[in-house]
Amino acid sequence: MRTPRALKAAGLVLAAVVLGLLTVQGTYALWNAAVNSNAGTVQAADFRVSLTDGPTNTSMDMTLADGTAATIALSTTPIGVVVPGQSVYTGVQLGNATNAGGDFTIKAGAGEPVITDTSGSGVASLLSVKAVGADALAQCTSAALYAGAQTTASVSIAKNASKVLCFQVTLAGNAPGSLQGKSAGISLPLAVEQL
Amino acid sequence: MVKGAIATGVGVVLLVGGGGTLATWNQAQSASMGSIVSGDLNLEVNSATNGGKWTNANSTVVDINTYRVVPGDTLTYTQDLLVTLTGDLMKAKLSVTNAGVNAGFTAASVDVSPTALKDATAAKPITSGDVLTASVNGHVVTASTTFTFKASTTGRDSANQRYNFGPIGYKLEQQAPASANAQ
Repeated sequence: MRTPRALKAAGLVLAAVVLGLLTVQGTYALWNAAVNSNAGTVQAADFRVSLTDGPTNTSMDMTLADGTAATIALSTTPIGVVVPGQSVYTGVQLGNATNAGGDFTIKAGAGEPVITDTSGSGVASLLSVKAVGADALAQCTSAALYAGAQTTASVSIAKNASKVLCFQVTLAGNAPGSLQGKSAGISLPLAVEQL
Repeated sequence: MVKGAIATGVGVVLLVGGGGTLATWNQAQSASMGSIVSGDLNLEVNSATNGGKWTNANSTVVDINTYRVVPGDTLTYTQDLLVTLTGDLMKAKLSVTNAGVNAGFTAASVDVSPTALKDATAAKPITSGDVLTASVNGHVVTASTTFTFKASTTGRDSANQRYNFGPIGYKLEQQAPASANAQ
């Protein structure tokens, strides 16, 4: 009869010791101090380039709100009409409208023009395009600007600045009279990259 | 029986009274134990040297609230901390709590370094496993975090996105003296 009592007592003492140890562990605390960095939030800039057509002053962003590429129709000067051996001119103004905090220079380039006949007009093969960079749209009508110009061109644009890509469209001097009133479409791909 | 009990009680009182008036040789000494003085543990932003600032790839200090980062830029946040650590058995560990939270940058476009700690006074890096003692009391620790917007980013990837570094903090935590486990 005495042995079971002794065992019970020993069990109680053991339980009390374990509980006591657990209690000490749970309330164990030492000094500590903490501070916050208050480092704030890093925000990426917008990559925004504006396109402006000269004669009509029509302007739009190069990338639309839905993320797709914009298309801008350029007007020619004189508007739309070219005669054999002569040229018409147009230009697009590109603005580097980023909100970047530091330096952010971009390079805007016009790729190879794609000339297509409208309704099988046959004009496309007689048209040629030259491109050149400039500072202002008003310079685009100067024939001297295109001396030595190629079919493609590019300009560097600093942050919050703008530059112009000018285009000269020339109809070959041997264009037959049968092409009077005919038209062709010219597509100029523009690409902008960060420098 | 009652009278006998009262008589016994009086007899005890008399004996006690006799003890109180007992006078013999005696001597007293002061313990000279002195005072116990506690140490200290504290961690503060040391605004006197650097309360926290961001610099860009050109080493220009920028206002992160208005600054907009672009591919190719690297932003570094540095901040000085003042360590107070006194006590003969004082041991503590200094660690970084939490990390920045990416709120839109693609993983391929950014590289964020874990916050590094360096004892600027002793010119020695501090890792989370290092045990600091009172020898570093008064030392300035510089914390630094680097955010790199990779130049290899293509298209308009990660434009107008955010990376929140606000949750980052630092903690100085005492380590128990070896004898504490026995108490």
